[in-house]
Amino acid sequence: MAFSLELLKGNVKIEDCTPLLDDPKYQEKYLKLKDLLKSEEGKKKELKINIENELCDGCGICVTICPVNARYCYSILSGKAPDYPPDTHQLFMVKEGKCELLNIKYCRRLETEGKERECRVCETYCPREALKIEYI
Amino acid sequence: MSEQLKITCSGCSLLCDDIIIIKDDKEIKEILGACQKGINKFNQIKSKNRILSPLYKDKGGLKVLEWDLALNKAIQIIKNAKKPLIYGLSTISCESQILALKIAKKIDAFIDSNSTICQGKFLNIASEMGITTTTLTEIINKSDLIILWGTNIVESIPRLFSKILFSRGKFRMTGREIKNLIIVDIYKTASFKVMGTRDLAIIIRPNEDIELIKILKKAVKGDYTFPNEGISGIDKQDLERFKTFLLNSEHITILPGQALLNQKTNGDAIKELLELVNLLNNIKNNGRISLLMVGGHYNMVGFEHMALSETGKNQSIQFKNGESIKSDDNIISKIQKEDFDLSIIIGTDPISHFPLEISKILSSKPIILIDNKKSGTFLIATLILPTSITGIENKGLAFRLDHVPIQLKKIIEPPSLIQSDYELLQKILDRLNK
Amino acid sequence: MEMILNTIRLINNDQNVEWNCQDVEFMEEHLAIGFINPLDFKKLYLVPSLKLHISNNHGDVIVNFKQDSKIPEGIILMPVSLWANQVTYVKNNNIIYKNIKVNVEGTRDPPTKLNELIEKIKSDKI
Repeated sequence: MAFSLELLKGNVKIEDCTPLLDDPKYQEKYLKLKDLLKSEEGKKKELKINIENELCDGCGICVTICPVNARYCYSILSGKAPDYPPDTHQLFMVKEGKCELLNIKYCRRLETEGKERECRVCETYCPREALKIEYI
Repeated sequence: MSEQLKITCSGCSLLCDDIIIIKDDKEIKEILGACQKGINKFNQIKSKNRILSPLYKDKGGLKVLEWDLALNKAIQIIKNAKKPLIYGLSTISCESQILALKIAKKIDAFIDSNSTICQGKFLNIASEMGITTTTLTEIINKSDLIILWGTNIVESIPRLFSKILFSRGKFRMTGREIKNLIIVDIYKTASFKVMGTRDLAIIIRPNEDIELIKILKKAVKGDYTFPNEGISGIDKQDLERFKTFLLNSEHITILPGQALLNQKTNGDAIKELLELVNLLNNIKNNGRISLLMVGGHYNMVGFEHMALSETGKNQSIQFKNGESIKSDDNIISKIQKEDFDLSIIIGTDPISHFPLEISKILSSKPIILIDNKKSGTFLIATLILPTSITGIENKGLAFRLDHVPIQLKKIIEPPSLIQSDYELLQKILDRLNK
Repeated sequence: MEMILNTIRLINNDQNVEWNCQDVEFMEEHLAIGFINPLDFKKLYLVPSLKLHISNNHGDVIVNFKQDSKIPEGIILMPVSLWANQVTYVKNNNIIYKNIKVNVEGTRDPPTKLNELIEKIKSDKI
């Protein structure tokens, strides 16, 4: 799982998986994978959180649910909007009725705090499906 | 010079008190934390549909009037009426609501709020059977099960979920992970998207909510097995889970919506639900189960309190000889019976809410409209008196959906010659008293 | 075809918002609308250029439509508005907003305009 994720992000190449090359029984899978990735292989991908302005209604669920926001903005714990100006770690805030991504640097999907995590809560709970996590 | 202020939004009944605005002397520059509905309220300030002067309709169409003349016209129309109606009042401050009640008393009017066709029905039945209510803070801190019954929160009160479901609270630090959600509706609304794997989605056949409540009542009493084929389109397994959730959760909050108020046998579904709540509260040793009504207008609850304290009745009040008298009518029956000769509409738009047959009767008599923006009612009103926007251009008290009073602030100055509901109603009352 | 009509509130089809700052055309586009299941779309022999004619004993109205597979078959949803008011009614002093029996069919006529609805209210005919 971890390898495939790294592969998709472009951090490793298919050849880095030795069993896939060594064992002839995996030859077919190796070629299939090679075909699937084609020219995308090895290209470094960057994490993007896309917020579609048209769909967003500013409900603030992403602001409240984001674990990084919750750690640095105490008012979120009781369901209130975070203070202003925003904390340097804060990821999301609602401005003029639409959600805005402040900075992605401290997102749990990145290695900022030593360990990257498979966190997807903002995307999962967005009722408008306005928020998408992508690697471009 | 710009300054930062924390204000309360009057966009809906949630009255979010955590909105931050950045403004200078004249206008609001930025609004932080408010949802689309809240922003829409702020957009009213400079809306092209705003009414900026008193208007009177005669044969030639709408004419602009001077304020003094407009008020005299209003007094003249009111004094000519023998059976006036006052309706609306859910989007004005509590102080203005008291004045409206005083005017009603003075002119022997029938006064009613939007609540009559909304959550008021629930409160009427609850007043006979008792009701357990709760506050938002209690839900945030204690609740472990939230049930939405026929209401689509994401569309009607956008920020309610982020407040009550996704907040962590004092005693349940993990928040969403420990709060379960059950949604009962006839189709998968936008609210269903916030559901996790442990939550329970109940898709019910239209008009059959009462069957589900009845069967749940039997089930929680014990010694009852659900039919194998389920009921009302719900699987047996889901019914079992529903029962387990009800019996094993500590603090349960049910948010009933319009769907329950509009069942085939009017009122019975509400009665059954209240009985289920009472039953569970008797069975439970720990915690409790409560109801939270989710009305839309920001001060609908306020009128219930003001009317109750002033007259002893929370809505549909008939005054006669300066006293409130017993009456079984509500605004709809009054209009249907044509038992009125003038309607004073304050801060609402009945023409866009009432069925055609009722709107036709309403429009056949003179209408005085007190509001800040154009609406369906604006298009047929006889006399239109504009006001400023409470919570933005003037202050006032309002009651949140959980019956908690919150003070609304004045943020900016209203347009020239536009006064608040309070000032306008006070002037009308003074002139009536002269 | 007989269907059940339920009025609903939607943030993007909210009459309060439209009255607030929008033009009449925008309002007509967002409020004169019915949401139906794609299967009902087929059953009604609809094509995208057609409109919906909704009627019952209380009145009738012509609206645009949108397909949504989440809506159960046989149900039509409409935002609470002047357009939906044409088929809602009063029973036991209560306004019935939900579970209204209506007859729905495709039509080539344009959706009912706001001024037509206002004229209907003003006219003496009941």
